[in-house]
Amino acid sequence: MGQQLFIFGAAFLGSAVESTEALTIVLAVGLTRGWRAPLMGTLVAIVLLAILVIVFGQLIVTTVPEWALKLLVGTLLLLFGLRWLHKAVLRSAGAVAMHDEERAYQETVNQLGETVTRRDWIGFILALKGVFLEGLEVVFIVIAVGGTGHGWPAAIAGGLAAAVVVAATGVVVRKPLARVPENTLKYAVGILLTSLGTFWAAEGMGASWPGDFLSIFVLAGVFFAASRLAVTLIRTPALA
Amino acid sequence: MKFLRAAGREVVGLFVGDWLQSGVVVVILAAGWFAVSRLGAPALVLLVLLLAGQLVWFARAEAKRSG
Repeated sequence: MGQQLFIFGAAFLGSAVESTEALTIVLAVGLTRGWRAPLMGTLVAIVLLAILVIVFGQLIVTTVPEWALKLLVGTLLLLFGLRWLHKAVLRSAGAVAMHDEERAYQETVNQLGETVTRRDWIGFILALKGVFLEGLEVVFIVIAVGGTGHGWPAAIAGGLAAAVVVAATGVVVRKPLARVPENTLKYAVGILLTSLGTFWAAEGMGASWPGDFLSIFVLAGVFFAASRLAVTLIRTPALA
Repeated sequence: MKFLRAAGREVVGLFVGDWLQSGVVVVILAAGWFAVSRLGAPALVLLVLLLAGQLVWFARAEAKRSG
């Protein structure tokens, strides 16, 4: 039960971050060019992503031995989580600017303003590309988090719930979701995915963790402590 | 074609920001695999500490470069 909740939470939070970025693009296109083309682009992207999940999900689960799956998915999840955590550390320390949804929205609107006289398929392609590319990350998170440990239903539910919540919020507010604490979410999800990746990669190597699934919380504590140490060292170079 | 290239870049970019860092992580995992097969659970402590250590090292290095 605890494991399923953890998987649901990791898939939900990770997917919410990426869904917010996709929503920003769709809103920018829809509010400047009308809704028909971007909604069609979004729909096509969602169908393509669903096909990817079904094809690769089935392929992975039915053809790869469990130890190899844990090692491969664990390694990829670790690399993915470390990327987010690395960025979050640099943003927390002030070394890199925070991600700003309002600025991303404005950039997309400006880009559209330059091409507004062109045909409407531009709106379709922009929405398709935005939703598909951001959605790829959602697909990876769902496949990786749910692909081992028999957590598929919880991971898919988490990913879908995040997409529905973000889309519903977008419909209601009709503005970029600037108040979603994206950087904080990415920090937390980076730690979760890094811990989960380390756990599964080591299990794939044949190791047994003391306390089984509970050791993920210890791993999360270690990676959190390391990230705070990194932030402190970056902020106060004299300590380095 | 442009779209496929962008998708390909996006997929690689999910896992690799800095090739050196990703290489170091893979080497740590390979060493961890070897150590786990010889030492068992105690090797996990070393594996986790090395992974946490590289996070601190590479974050500091990038901050120095960008600062």
